[in-house]
Amino acid sequence: MPSPRSFSRGRNPITYVLALMLCVGFYLFFFSSGGDSYIPSTRQSGGTASNVLSPPSLPFRKSKHNEPAQAPPVVHYHMNNVTTSRNPVENSETVLILTPLARFYQEYWDSLLKLTYPHELISLGFIIPKTKEGNLAITALQKEIAKTQKKGHGKRFASITILRQDTESPLQNQGEAERHKMENQKARRAAMAKARNSLLFTTLGPTTSWVLWMDSDIIEYPPTLIQDLAAFDAPIIAPNCFQRFYNNEKKSQDIRPYDFNNWVDSPTAKEMAAKMGKDDILLEGYAEMPTYRSLMAMMYDPAQEIGTKVKLDGVGGAVLLVKAEVHRDGAMFPAFPFYHLIETEGFAKMASRLNSESFGLPNYLVYHYNE
Amino acid sequence: MLSAPRQPAPPAVFHHHHAWRHDANFNCRCRFQPRSQPALRRRKRLIQQLLAGSSIILLIFFYFAPSYRPNLGAGPLSYLTSSEDADLETVRYYDLSNVQGTARGWEREERILLCAPLRDAAPHLKMFFEHLEKLTYPHNLIDLAFLVGDSKDNTLELLNEKLEALQANPDPKKRFGELSIMNKDFGQKVNQDVESRHGFAAQAGRRKSMAQARNWLLSAALRPTHSWVYWRDVDVETAPVTILEDLMRHNKDVIVPNVWRPLPDWLGGEQPYDLNSWQESDTALALADTLDEDAVIVEGYAEYATWRPHLAYLRDPYGDPDMEMEIDGVGGVSILAKAKVFRSGVHFPAFSFEKHAETEGFGKMAKRMKYSVVGLPHYTIWHLYEPSVDDLRHMEEMEKEKKAKEAEEAAKKERLEKINHQFEPKSNDWEKEKAQVHDLLQKEKAENANQPKEAEAPKKPQEKPQEKPQEQPKKEAEKPVAKKDVIHEVRGEDEKPKLQPVQ
Repeated sequence: MPSPRSFSRGRNPITYVLALMLCVGFYLFFFSSGGDSYIPSTRQSGGTASNVLSPPSLPFRKSKHNEPAQAPPVVHYHMNNVTTSRNPVENSETVLILTPLARFYQEYWDSLLKLTYPHELISLGFIIPKTKEGNLAITALQKEIAKTQKKGHGKRFASITILRQDTESPLQNQGEAERHKMENQKARRAAMAKARNSLLFTTLGPTTSWVLWMDSDIIEYPPTLIQDLAAFDAPIIAPNCFQRFYNNEKKSQDIRPYDFNNWVDSPTAKEMAAKMGKDDILLEGYAEMPTYRSLMAMMYDPAQEIGTKVKLDGVGGAVLLVKAEVHRDGAMFPAFPFYHLIETEGFAKMASRLNSESFGLPNYLVYHYNE
Repeated sequence: MLSAPRQPAPPAVFHHHHAWRHDANFNCRCRFQPRSQPALRRRKRLIQQLLAGSSIILLIFFYFAPSYRPNLGAGPLSYLTSSEDADLETVRYYDLSNVQGTARGWEREERILLCAPLRDAAPHLKMFFEHLEKLTYPHNLIDLAFLVGDSKDNTLELLNEKLEALQANPDPKKRFGELSIMNKDFGQKVNQDVESRHGFAAQAGRRKSMAQARNWLLSAALRPTHSWVYWRDVDVETAPVTILEDLMRHNKDVIVPNVWRPLPDWLGGEQPYDLNSWQESDTALALADTLDEDAVIVEGYAEYATWRPHLAYLRDPYGDPDMEMEIDGVGGVSILAKAKVFRSGVHFPAFSFEKHAETEGFGKMAKRMKYSVVGLPHYTIWHLYEPSVDDLRHMEEMEKEKKAKEAEEAAKKERLEKINHQFEPKSNDWEKEKAQVHDLLQKEKAENANQPKEAEAPKKPQEKPQEKPQEQPKKEAEKPVAKKDVIHEVRGEDEKPKLQPVQ
């Protein structure tokens, strides 16, 4: 009988401590689980999903490998309570930042991290084409995500969704010059519109309050961007997109307007549209098509107040804050000529057909990458 | 093992034999071990007993006095999971080229999003869930999304109850995927009853707000994992259980079956129901050009004669159910569409899109984006028959008529009985007489005598009182017949409007 003997030999206090720990553990196991402090898994907006099958704008709890698969729960979303107010932080309103990612710029990511809006209320969504360039972009992006989304990282975002685009990009060469050729514009922007819509409608979910469209080549803006834009309480609002460059004439750093898709309509443009065929589109910023629209890019005046607001008829997608309900009502980026407009410009038109107006801030600047 | 004895035994074997003297732990048995002292052993046992006793007492105490249990938070497992964000998954990756939708989705495990907008739909939910449970498409691949808005009945509670029951199915294969209920009130003013739903004036506004509800539902429920989206009204009475596979097999971007509804016999037995699935006509295009920007053409009203070929009217009950027909407008009772259609931005216009809104506008927009939009004229599902006000009035009249008839019959019976009763002694006499006469007759017959007629005579007074009351119901019966025709004519115009899905 060696066992009782060896047991009695272990008179050192560790045995008792272990026994006590076992007892305490036992009590914990038996009694605490019956407590009523159980947190239901179906929490409201800004919460956490309990199943993989859930809106991508929410993080979810991983199920344990050894756990049997749970039946997905019935989840209620009280969309009457999803607000869009002037004080989004106070009301814990969630923001979905959507970016069609063609190239990854480190400055883009750094600016995102600098946003002062509570990161636990921000979800990110990316759509990336299946091209060589897209592969490069996704590698760089995932590296940054792995860093930021690490457990306990202070700037961690609520959730990040990465989509690979299903549609072929019509132009393999997305170089600056090629991209802006007029004949390429329609196909390019139609594909872009489809990408934007795919990203939007699969990530919007039932809990998002605001959608912030941000192009991947926007690299500089005030960290309070979201709060600043939301304070105007406009259905759709766009800051002015500029670009920093080295002015050879002045021999110094300078800024110049970049995004010409924010405009107020002109009678000339309307006339041109009326004469056009059903499938033709009006484009902005091309000498061969003078529309005489008032461009917000040209309205910048540093002497004026930063909060000056103008009503727009067409918007660009560089940076655009949209109330989620505008998209929910059906305002999307037409991939076909809609009133002779396409993509973001068509979006503004469709939103106005749905009684949501677009506004621009000519003196509030954000900066585009200089290629 | 067999080869072992043939080998010459190496000396090492002997070493192994030495090892047998050790125990399993390679401790030599012969080694000396001091015995523990009895005093120590006793103290040890005392402590053990104390510990065991106290733990049992505590266990019992806590068992019977739950309020004294230590508050230790949310369960022991919570220490592993809910330490804020330990096991939180925040990054998701999807490849949209995997969710394009193919003809045999059930084999490729393609997920379907089933959308149903609801409003005051409680009476139909039972039927709807029976349909759901019978669907043959793998249930775990179907995600259900409902939008409940402006409901005044208990739709929400009932829906929740039904869904919980669905998911509590012990067979995991019978459980569905993601289940979401969106709660959103749009403050619609239009009533949802059949009459106000189908008035012409209310149509444009009604269709636009229906479209809005559909868009909210879709944008909240569509996920990057969906290959298909299926829109289904809750008030479909009969549909094949294989409907998802049947429609999917055609591998079209947007596809709808034909929708009819059964009618009571006095209205002809059946009727085309969904008139929103149609092919565009030149007349309609010309008409569209004359209308102002915000006008909405609604099909099935005399106000807009479009002369479009309707899917519904092309039905042949014996036709090939796989026959396809290109259409431009679609009805919303049962639409199967590839999710990529919705992903690319096609939606239910809540504004006048090419002079159409909601599902018809959806068809138009899908066409605009070069998607295939197809209807199956000979593949029919049946919508629930909800009687219109006229129908109800008529049915009431028929009911009254029936009751009157019944009352009449009862009265007749009573009278008959009374007569029988009153004349019983006499009729008994007659019976006797009759029997006598009969005997006589038979005797006569036997004696080859003629004229048996006299024997029938006593029966006559019985029949007479019946005749008068019979005339009255006849007169009454004529009236409704005439009225029925009038109503039917009215229906011809009024019923054309397609019954709108109950939101």
